Amino acid sequence: MRSTTSVVTPARFAQGLTYADFLAQIAINKDKFAQSYETVPLTDDDIAFFRKANAHAGGPTKILILAEAWCGDVYRELPTAIRIAEATGPVGSMEARIFFRDQNADIMDEFLHGEKKSRAIPVFVFYSADHNYITHWTERSASAYAGLATAMAEVKTELKLPQSATMGGLPDAERQNFLRALIAKVEPPPEQWRKDAIKEIRENLGTALEIPNA
Amino acid sequence: MPDRPIVYTVRGCHACVKLLEKWESDGRVFEERRVELSQATLDEARGYGSLVPIVVWPDGRVEQGFGDTLGCFI
Repeated sequence: MRSTTSVVTPARFAQGLTYADFLAQIAINKDKFAQSYETVPLTDDDIAFFRKANAHAGGPTKILILAEAWCGDVYRELPTAIRIAEATGPVGSMEARIFFRDQNADIMDEFLHGEKKSRAIPVFVFYSADHNYITHWTERSASAYAGLATAMAEVKTELKLPQSATMGGLPDAERQNFLRALIAKVEPPPEQWRKDAIKEIRENLGTALEIPNA
Repeated sequence: MPDRPIVYTVRGCHACVKLLEKWESDGRVFEERRVELSQATLDEARGYGSLVPIVVWPDGRVEQGFGDTLGCFI
């Protein structure tokens, strides 16, 4: 259960950066953000769903985004949240505001991820018009996590390493071979991972708002 | 050829911070290049790998990641 008190007040939310301001402030990866923005795999059905959610009583009208421009998951996924906000309806129907994670540790602390409580980004947090927390989504799709785990298992097999091998336990040369082989399998990431992220965001909102995800 | 390792880092990356802490505690002499600060440095790092920290040793060897973590995709 989420804390009833949050550092994300309406006034704090308003201090976040618009996407245009974010792009103006970052020094790196502007081309990556532009490419991801142009290729967000939102379908007409997705857009219809997010419009329905936006119009629902207590539905999302604000998206808080935690990000850092250097992060691959961020430049791939952040534009999806922007396009969701833009596709929802007239300007102002859904506001997206971006906060740099490392300048906003108190916000990040409310959305630590998984059992390890990692500071994974991006985080998309959905709030209603009266600023009630609805749901949030973090970093990458479950299919991306599974794809990484599968790739790691395959590389261990190919390199004749035991499945129980950990990177910290490998000699330097073997660890580097492992990482090079892993990167070759997961870079560039499959487009399906981005589609699955949208599917998960829909599921999260559908469940939280108790509206059909269709 | 540089006489000390070059390490490409992101200060917000846990693996990078752990490597820097280890090297500083070991008293190792190195050159840090922070990829989050400059597109040119980021592009330079991408020429060597996809996961920071990326270490380029004086003999030309390149290592990615650190310890038991993958590191951070850039």
